[in-house]
Amino acid sequence: MSEQSSYRVISLRGELDISRKAEIGAALQIAGPGPAVLVDLSDVQYADSTIIAEMLRFREDARRCGRRLAVLIGDPRFRRVLQYAGLESAFALFEDRGAALTYLSAAETT
Amino acid sequence: MSDVAGVGSELRLTRVAHVDAAKPLRHALAAFMEALEIGRELREDIIIAVGEALANAVEHAYDPEHPGSVELYARTSGHDTLLVDVYDRGRFVRRDEATPGRGLGLRIVRAIARTVSIDVNGGTHVRMEFSADRDGGGDQSLAM
Repeated sequence: MSEQSSYRVISLRGELDISRKAEIGAALQIAGPGPAVLVDLSDVQYADSTIIAEMLRFREDARRCGRRLAVLIGDPRFRRVLQYAGLESAFALFEDRGAALTYLSAAETT
Repeated sequence: MSDVAGVGSELRLTRVAHVDAAKPLRHALAAFMEALEIGRELREDIIIAVGEALANAVEHAYDPEHPGSVELYARTSGHDTLLVDVYDRGRFVRRDEATPGRGLGLRIVRAIARTVSIDVNGGTHVRMEFSADRDGGGDQSLAM
């Protein structure tokens, strides 16, 4: 996890399943108003509904705090899991980091 | 404690139903499907679906103080069908029910599997039937 000047990055790696529920929940925390957030899943090879549920909760927390959220993915499986769950449009998904940051920086100017 | 058997086109695995058991079971199934030359994307999707059933079993089938077993049984049926069963002997509490407002796991399974049946007599038995053309997919890398 790191704080940039205009956005915060939360990185998760590996296989995100039920055994990592507590870790994922702890990482996806937002305290209040602040910079936009990039959740970096570019090094995630597997994600089940555990992380989707945590991501949905985190999305609502970010929304309440007025913080824009982008999700960086590197593996098409995450997008497919969202499709199967009927949540394809639930997150701003990006496969390119630059595009994700452009999306987040645009939020600052609107 | 575990029991492992993979004979021909069948895979049987039994593990203590701890949350750490789901990952090695997924990996074993992925390797089994790769050996069957099931295409990569199909393997990945089957792992996603079976992973949801396994996660449900290891999280909610048993009292954490008294864990039982989770069993995975996979075999082919004809050229284009893979049957996968996930068994536990515990109480039946779907994650969807244990966490209000979710409903995600079973939705994912139903979106991927050709058919899904859930028998809750004496535990939980989830049977999933998948389309699984064994064409090799042109990619021999391990999916999971």
